[in-house]
Parts: sequence; structure tokens; C-alpha cells
Amino acid sequence: MNKHFFDSDIAWCPGCGDFAILRALDKAIAAAGVDRKKLVLVSGIGQAAKLPHYTQANVFNGLHGRALPAAVGIKLANHELEVVITSGDGDMYGEGGNHFLHNLRRNVGVKAFVHNNQVYGLTKGQASPTSDLGFVTKVQTHGVISPAFNPIALAVVEDCSFVARSFAGDPQHLQEMMAAALQHKGGFALLDILQPCVTFNKVNTYQWYRERVKRVDPSHDPYDRAKALDLAFKWGDEIPIGILYLSKRPSFEEQQVVLRRGRLVGQFAGQ
Amino acid sequence: MDLQLRIAGAAGQGVETTGDLLVEAFAALGLHVFATQTYMSRIRGGVNWFDIRIADAELFSGRRRADLLVALSKEALEWLRGEPARPGVADPGVILFNGSEGPGVTGVLFEQVAKELGGSAIMANTVAAGAVLAALGYEVSGLEELLRDRFARKGEEVVAANLRCVRKGAELGVAAAGRLKAPQPVGAPRGICSGNEAAGLGAATAGVKFVASYPMTPSTGVFTFLASVADEYGILVEQAEDEIAAINMVCGATYAGVPAMTTTSGGGFALMVEGVALAGMLELPAFIFLGQRPGPATGLPTRTAQQDLKFAINAGHGEFAKAILAPGTPQQCYDLTRHGVELAHKYQTPVILMSDQSLADMRKNCTDLDTSYRPISRHIVENPGGDYLRYAVTGSGVSPRALPGGEAFVVLDSDEHTEDGHITEDLEARVRLQDKRMRKLEGIRAEMLSPSWHGPPEAGHVLICWGSTYGPCREAVDRLNAAGQPTAMLHFSQVWPLRAAPIREALGDRRVTCVEGNATGQFASVLREVGVLSDCELILRYDGLPFTGEEIAERVRR
Repeated sequence: MNKHFFDSDIAWCPGCGDFAILRALDKAIAAAGVDRKKLVLVSGIGQAAKLPHYTQANVFNGLHGRALPAAVGIKLANHELEVVITSGDGDMYGEGGNHFLHNLRRNVGVKAFVHNNQVYGLTKGQASPTSDLGFVTKVQTHGVISPAFNPIALAVVEDCSFVARSFAGDPQHLQEMMAAALQHKGGFALLDILQPCVTFNKVNTYQWYRERVKRVDPSHDPYDRAKALDLAFKWGDEIPIGILYLSKRPSFEEQQVVLRRGRLVGQFAGQ
Repeated sequence: MDLQLRIAGAAGQGVETTGDLLVEAFAALGLHVFATQTYMSRIRGGVNWFDIRIADAELFSGRRRADLLVALSKEALEWLRGEPARPGVADPGVILFNGSEGPGVTGVLFEQVAKELGGSAIMANTVAAGAVLAALGYEVSGLEELLRDRFARKGEEVVAANLRCVRKGAELGVAAAGRLKAPQPVGAPRGICSGNEAAGLGAATAGVKFVASYPMTPSTGVFTFLASVADEYGILVEQAEDEIAAINMVCGATYAGVPAMTTTSGGGFALMVEGVALAGMLELPAFIFLGQRPGPATGLPTRTAQQDLKFAINAGHGEFAKAILAPGTPQQCYDLTRHGVELAHKYQTPVILMSDQSLADMRKNCTDLDTSYRPISRHIVENPGGDYLRYAVTGSGVSPRALPGGEAFVVLDSDEHTEDGHITEDLEARVRLQDKRMRKLEGIRAEMLSPSWHGPPEAGHVLICWGSTYGPCREAVDRLNAAGQPTAMLHFSQVWPLRAAPIREALGDRRVTCVEGNATGQFASVLREVGVLSDCELILRYDGLPFTGEEIAERVRR
């Protein structure tokens, strides 16, 4: 545990879903056998993006919306590092939307754990790309009128190699999903985590999610893209959680001629 | 003794191919060559031209009016023969036109000959090259040898067809022979360097292993050059989804220990600026090749300018150390790219190399650049102890840099942080860390590359220039001194940070004129700001074309 964990207060509100995500991550790292010395936690800006400071790992806490390109640069420079992004919905789907779109295609083996609380926390309560229609804020005073961004459906459409959803209120499930993502070898992994914001989102509460989340049936074949897309469109009365889609397409690293010679950082061969 | 040729035609007609072939042919003859390109932002049509100047002494700049024009299209002929204001053809000059004979025009049906003898209109450039050499009274045997080398892989028939085209071109070009006095070969170096290729080679040999860019004229040539040598040197070249991704990918790659760079131009660089500040805050050795073009906004996408100097110096919110280099020749593009990548690592901070379209596309003879892999030092510490602090406060401001994956955690935060890299709002720590980062600027300043002086040491008038204006200024100084007007040039290949005192002392109370490719005299303003100058005269150009030596000399005399 980082000494700042003791020295300073964690910047999250009491009861925040981020605490459960942090605990699950620590357990998943152990369960997946990840060597923390080889682990890099990458984040952008936002409340979720502070997570790397509250555990033990190498940290690249970069710019708002830019966790993905930084993580990709790190992974391509040294693909023996385990590179995990922990950032929020505003960071990944809003400010970083273009990077999200294109890294689903690129399929570099970084793992994105998106704390999706459907609201902007650090800027105090504006709508996020995943806010539901009608969600009223101090900016969206008449309620959100643009339909919510659907990261899961987009990831399936773009043939993302690992697509899963979990819920911060189901720590066991969350830890399993994180461990599965960490063990995934086929490229980019997206884990969208439903995370209640106890301060700024009075609609999508623990209770609201608990009544709706439903683990995908064990019979679901994650390689069935059409079925995965059906699940991806489910939102409202029932929200499926679990591994929704897997693809067997090759990772970016496997296809890079230069990386067949080993790690890029190992090829520098200088001081 | 020199001569200027202009090959002009529509985009897609092979203007560049013809120009390149002739540049190589002239260099193979042992002539000094200097070539630049002027083209429109389109893939077909319009009027593009490729200027080649040849001489029996080293060349540093082009000339405005050509002695020999090869017009591949009617539009090119009309446009370049038009108003005197246009950079057309001297009167009397020689015109080889891809069409019928006319007053002052030698008709050579390049494309028709190519189709008849070569079986393809593509070989029109070979016909044209043969015609030009013959019109100037040069042997075509060197050109034939080049074509044999170039097309050997494509088989005997392709070689033979090209040779037939050259010979026929030479036969037709003889009609214009004897009218121009051509310089005699003097054994100039046969190698040809272009600004962009030289910068790319500098990066590859320096150990740059990761390149992420979004294509943008005029920087794309560096990006494509690096892609062309990626397998050979072991470079991962990735086309980013946008410039923001590119600079952030570069930051990530440098964090993991790989020398990395991006290539861009004005608008793309504008998008990167937050990432430049990130590299400043995280203390990462990001290297940025910035090929300038006229702005604002999209501006003149394929033309040249030096309009982004103050923008580059101030690029990034907040205050942090950075260095800005500005090569003046292809050789300097190579040397300063290597130097810049090393400097970025030594001081763990972003370094920007500023080129522009005229330098990017400039071709000139040079002795062969060293292609051997000679990686720079990354200034890395191996195996730091368990109490490692990424941002340890030091006298120089440079903290020992370790890489992630070793025994110590390496923690970086774009928020203000304590020495261990973790987020803080301890305002005393903020001042300590800000001061530490700024001390690096003093280190870079102390080892500033000295500006270069050309001309008599006692000259009473000094032309100050930076970057690509080196060549035209140098030629202007030679012309002015030959005309009995003692003048010197002071060229800056590092434009930030500057050591003011020695430059101020060297200039003394001489008359100073700043020569710049912008509308406001940006470098003059910087020199005033840092206390090098109190005031100076300005010679500016911002129409999108590069300066020429003759133009600067004329404007000095005026």
C-alpha cells in the first residue's frame, strides 16, 4: 500500500463505488498472479483516475481523456508490462472518445477498467456520455436529450477482443471479471463497471443497479457476436453483467513485424 | 557560374519524378545541385513546379527566374510565362514544351514519344530528362547508367524502353542546345540529401524506436521515411487516430524507456500542445518534428513559412523547460535530430525540431550521411533502490530516471506531485518541484548551440536568421560582399533557450537585419525579449514561397 494511502485522505466520497473497485482490483491482481513490479496503472483525470495513487504499482496518471494512447505507447514499448487503465466514463467515453473508437480496432493488449457512474463527479455533477435520457443536472437543466453512449455495443461492433460488464455493488463478480481481463491474452480488454456515484447521481443508485443487473446465463457463448450484440442493447429493466463478447482476432502486437524480434525497449541496445 | 531549371506541370504529371531524376543525373555528372519544390494542395491538375539550380560551386538557395523551363502542360507554360510578377522564366530563356513549337518555345512531345518508344506515358519524365541534358550540352551516359540501376529489378525490357526514351529526348532537346551556357562539372558529391529524409535518418540512427504521427504536410516525409526503414532499424511506426493520440503515445513509450517521436505541422501541433505540457510535467523526453507551413488554420497547406516560432516556444500551458532546434540544411536536419533526441533524454523534457516545407523538400548534394546505428544515451539509472524517488530534487533539476518494470515503482502524475510522483496539494512541494523543473532550462541554455557566423568578422551589417533561411541568407551575404558591401550572417540552429550576453557582445553596435519567413519578425521579437537586441530592421516574406539569395541581397541594397 502506498504511503499516501495513510498520509492523506482518499479523495473519494464515503460510500463511493470506487472503493469497491479498488478492493476488487487488489484481489484480482493477486488472483491473476500479476507481478506488481511489472504492472503499470494508467489513468487520465477524474475521480476514478486517482485510483492508481491508492495502491502499489507503477503509475502513469496522464491527461484527461488520454489514458488510452499513453497506455498503448507503454505497452508497445514494453509488451511484457501489464498495462491497466483505471478511469471514468467521462475520461474514456467522452474526452477520450476518439481514442476509444480506434483502440477497439487497434487491439493492443491493454486492459481498460472503466468506472462508469453515468455522471461527471470531479466537475460536480454534469451529464456524462452514459447518462440516461432525461437525467437532470445543473447544465442539462431540462434533462439529457442525447441518447446514452453504449460502450458495450460499440465494442462488440468493432470486434473488441474482450468485452465485459460488472457492478461495483457485486465485489465477487467484479473481482472475477477483472481477473479474467487480466488473464486475457488476445488484445484489448474492455471492462465497463457500473459504479454508483453517491453524491451526484441520485438516480442510478446502488439500489437502482441491484434491481436491474443480471449475470449472463452460463450457456451464453461469448464468441457469438449476434447474441452478444443482443445483450449489449439490453439496458433498463435488465442490465446484463459478465463476459459478453470475446473475439479470436490477433492482437496488434502479434501482427507487428518489429515486435517479433522481442520487446521494443530491448531492441534499443544502447545505454 | 550557375543555371536554374524549372520543371512545371499539373499534379500527377510526374513533375517530381522528372525533377528527382535530373537532380540525380546532375549530381552524377559532378555538378553542385540545389532543388526545391512548389506544389499545390491537390492530387491532380493545377501548376506545380520543381526547381533545380546547378553550379560549379556549392549552392544554398534557388533563384526566382529560371533559365530553362520544361512545361509539361499548357497551363504551366501560360502561367509561368505570364506576368513578370510570377516566378517564371527569364527572357531570353529556353522553353521545352510538351506540345507544338511556338515563338521562343521548343516543342517536344514528351508523352507521345514515351508512348511510342516506351509503351507508356509514364516514361515522359525520362524523355524530358534526356531533352534537358542535351539542351544544356551534357552527356546522357550518366543518366543512362542511373536508369539501368533504377530499373534493373523490373527487367531488361523496362531498362531498354527507358534508354530509348532518353536517347530520343536527347535528340529532340539538341534543337535548343547552345543557347544557354551551362556550368562545368567539378566533382561535387554524388549523394543527394533531402531535409525530411535526413531528419528521418538522424532519428533512426539515434535509436528512435517508436513513431506515432498523423500525416500532415510538410512533415509527412519524415514519417514515411521512418516507415520505409522501420524493419531495417527496428522501429514501430504507428499512424495515430489524431495528433493528440500521437503525442500521448509518444509520452507513454518514452516512459517505458523507448526513444520516441512524432511528426506534425501547425494545426496538428496545435492539437498536441496539451501533450507537450504533459511531457514537461512528467519530465519525459518527447521529441517533436514540427514542419511549418503558412497559417493560420489550414493556411497554405503545401507552401512554406516560419510562422510558428513563438507558438512553439510558448507551446504548453504552465511553465516548463523545452528546447527548440531549427536546422538550416539537410545535413543539419540529420545532426540536430540526433542532438535533439539526446538533449530530450539528458534533460527529460520535450524538444522540438522546427523545419518547414522549403527545407523538408529541399534536395542538395551532400557527402553521404552515416547510416550506422549509433544510439544516443538515454541517461537511465538501472536498479535504483527501494526508496527510489522519480522526481528527486537535484541541483541541476534533472532527477535520476528509472524505467517501470524494475525493482522500484516509477510513478508519474500530471497533477503537481511530490518527489515520489504522487499527487499533492502541498504548496511548498509545488514550489520545490516547479523550481526543480525550471532549473533544467538553465542547463539547456548553458549548452546552447552557438549560432554560426558567415562572412567577414568585421562586417558592419549582420543578417540574423534561423532555420531554413540559412541558405538564402548565406548566398545573399556572398553576393553583397562580392558587390563590395561588407555583410555577415548569424544563423541560429537553436532558437530556444538563448544565451543572450555573448550574442549581444558579438553584435556590438552593428546594423542588424532579421530575415524571417513570417509577417511579424518573430525571432527579432524573441531576441528583443531576451535582451540580445534593442531594435533591428526586418526583411520578411510570407507569400508561401521561400526566400532566394538574390532577393535578400536586393532588399538589403534597397
